[in-house]
Amino acid sequence: MTTSQQQKGLRSTVRRKRPLPSIVWVSVALAALAAIGVPGFATRGNVSDIGLQVAMLVVIAMPMTLVILSEGLDLSVGALLSLGGVVLAQTLAMGAGIVPALLAAAAVGVLAGGVNGMLIARLGLPPFVVTLAMLGIARGMALVLTDGNAVVVATPAVAQLYAMSILGVPFPILCALAAWALTHVLLYHTKFGAYVFAIGGNREALTLAGVKAKVFHVAIYATSGLFAGLAALLLIGRMNAAEPNAAIGIEFDAIAAVVLGGTSFERGDGWLTGTVLGVVTIGVLRNALNLLGVESSLQVVSVGVLVLLVILVDSLRKSRFLGAHA
Amino acid sequence: METMTTGSPLPRLELRKISKTFPGVRALSDVDLQLYPGEVHMLLGENGAGKSSLMKVLFGAYRADAGEFFFDGEPVAIGSPADAKRLGIAVIFQEFSLVPHLSIAQNIYLGREPRNRFGLVDHRRMHADAAAVLGELGLAYDTRMQAAELGVAQQQMVEIAKALSHDARVLVMDEPTAAISDREADALFAVVHRLRDAGVAIVYISHRMKEVFDLGDRVTVLRDGRLVKSMLASDTKPDELIALMVGRSVGTAYQRRYAGKPGDMALEVKQLRTATGVNGVDLYVRCGEIVGLSGLVGAGRSEVVRAVFGADPIQSGRVEIFGEEVSGGPHKVAARGVGLIPENRKQEGLALTRSVHENLLAASLWRLFPKGFYRVAQAKRATRELIDSLRIAPGEPAKRAQFLSGGNQQKIVIGKWLSAGCRLFIFDEPTRGIDIGAKTEIFALIERLVEEGAAVLLISSELSEIVHVCDRAYVMREGTISGELPKDRLSERNILALAMHEEA
Repeated sequence: MTTSQQQKGLRSTVRRKRPLPSIVWVSVALAALAAIGVPGFATRGNVSDIGLQVAMLVVIAMPMTLVILSEGLDLSVGALLSLGGVVLAQTLAMGAGIVPALLAAAAVGVLAGGVNGMLIARLGLPPFVVTLAMLGIARGMALVLTDGNAVVVATPAVAQLYAMSILGVPFPILCALAAWALTHVLLYHTKFGAYVFAIGGNREALTLAGVKAKVFHVAIYATSGLFAGLAALLLIGRMNAAEPNAAIGIEFDAIAAVVLGGTSFERGDGWLTGTVLGVVTIGVLRNALNLLGVESSLQVVSVGVLVLLVILVDSLRKSRFLGAHA
Repeated sequence: METMTTGSPLPRLELRKISKTFPGVRALSDVDLQLYPGEVHMLLGENGAGKSSLMKVLFGAYRADAGEFFFDGEPVAIGSPADAKRLGIAVIFQEFSLVPHLSIAQNIYLGREPRNRFGLVDHRRMHADAAAVLGELGLAYDTRMQAAELGVAQQQMVEIAKALSHDARVLVMDEPTAAISDREADALFAVVHRLRDAGVAIVYISHRMKEVFDLGDRVTVLRDGRLVKSMLASDTKPDELIALMVGRSVGTAYQRRYAGKPGDMALEVKQLRTATGVNGVDLYVRCGEIVGLSGLVGAGRSEVVRAVFGADPIQSGRVEIFGEEVSGGPHKVAARGVGLIPENRKQEGLALTRSVHENLLAASLWRLFPKGFYRVAQAKRATRELIDSLRIAPGEPAKRAQFLSGGNQQKIVIGKWLSAGCRLFIFDEPTRGIDIGAKTEIFALIERLVEEGAAVLLISSELSEIVHVCDRAYVMREGTISGELPKDRLSERNILALAMHEEA
């Protein structure tokens, strides 16, 4: 590339540095602030706690980034997570091993996500409505399957797995890292990833390129369902039981993390690493407020306010960047 | 590659009796076209003559209702873009088909990403290949840049590179030079010549007469979705081509009767320049006259109107309305008595789900009720007067606007500005999608507005409308006024000549 740029007579366009999304500064500043101002924040135990608290959210927020990049939304992930937990615990209770049980939960997730995707991509129904309906269906199914009661995990294997650690890294954090790595490869190193950007940015272009865009569009939602089903392992591992009402509102945190990370709801513009920073920021904020004794309802308010602030700053900076370009 | 000469016996791609109908419009009828390898085939036609439809049929984006395709003499089906790709047909689209947040390289190879032995995208090769294709066009763009970071001309060049990267055997170019500089155009022409010499069959749509003769081996003129004539470029002249393009059957024998004395200055535009491509436009409209603003699609007509109406910022120049310079947004301009009847009335001119009554009074409530209190009886009376005077049918004030015909919807938009007390009306393609009977009524209405002292600026892609309705007309080309035609010189031929090349 450098050699071709050095050739004379070629018209070249040099890449300008894009401004870093605000989340980079926000996450660092928030962590620094908490470390200075919040007693008990900067301890090894607390940092490890934050990691454990956000691990499941990372797994959910990774495919949510793909969904939002495709100009979509998935409100059903929390309900699918909890339905997956119920399926997992009940399959284990029937005497199945942990792998077949996890596959069953994953299958439920893929199926529900696939239905979401079909309705959105094939019939053109709005993602908000489709996944909201799926939220209701999945939450209801979880209640039907359990009669509204918690299902205690029948085997100690889940708890053992959850408590396991490799090289000092706890299992949930390993899962989060694996989800991040996998999604990163998917988004930046496969055709599918390029099509995610294209479905959000210019669907027509993808169709004109001879790609069956709808198939990939369905796959985005199926991936979201799959990750929710697999994350059920972390959900029931933490409590050693499957609650049909668990993980209510986690879709809010997941969407907030994606948006905090600088991914836009329009034109397929976004950044996966930003989502991870978004999750960490939410985790740090909640943890710090917890340590300060702020009640949880006010924590939700603070996440909402943070999201608005970051979006505002990002949009101002972006318009200046693009304005300078015109 | 075998050497091919102009007029070689077997066309690379042949279209026979291609027809395509959309609801209410016959876009293409019985078009026969032969594309020979090693030939640049120029496609000409007035706005709406069927060039774009034909191109979309060629690429499988539209499925033809009737007709056959032959590739190297063999019958083939082109039902989807994938079919076209398989045959080696590539298109450079005028509307950009780039994905904003993918890199230049990813855009060029969208759907054809090279993969490494792990099945992952081979970024190194993709960027190297993309740089090589761009290099052929004399460009050294950083292939990691996202399409969203590129300017319009750069995006067009990437679009061209994308089509070139296909090693196409048939290459269709839809006004590829519309958005790029001369220097980039020269690089493009060099590539066109090289591809032609390599045996590619090239279809080139252009509005620039110079390109037609500089590049073209063969010229085909379309009109009203029909092929008028196909000939060798060396056998024809600009005047003949223009004569072949004009004379669309518009189906209205409307002829303006009134040609009174123009009155006060209503609109005066001086050396207008905008970021949207308007480059030094001067024009004026007086009360009592209908002035046309003509030109081919993309010449900058709508951009002038948007700037005059305050919808786009003005870089330099002046816009004076009724003798006073205006600034500020559309509401300021509207307050001076300017009514815009937009091209897209369903999106910009009407609230479709609201009633005729509500739409008619939408812009005049403060004028009718300056104290802010709504009086039902008075509002009903105002609506009734408008419905009667405009002859809106059905004359039911409570009917939702969406259930009226296109012509009657247009009357509502006019009525809205009429009741707001407008004296300068700007019509942007007022008869698009309106049947012939309603067209005549709309023109009669426009004429009545003028008789009552209003001024009208009429933008139309239908040349015959400009000729028949206007008292005089400006013709635009590439963001500037290329000429003004008084009534006695107002003809389709003169308009097209000004719209396509310098001398009229």
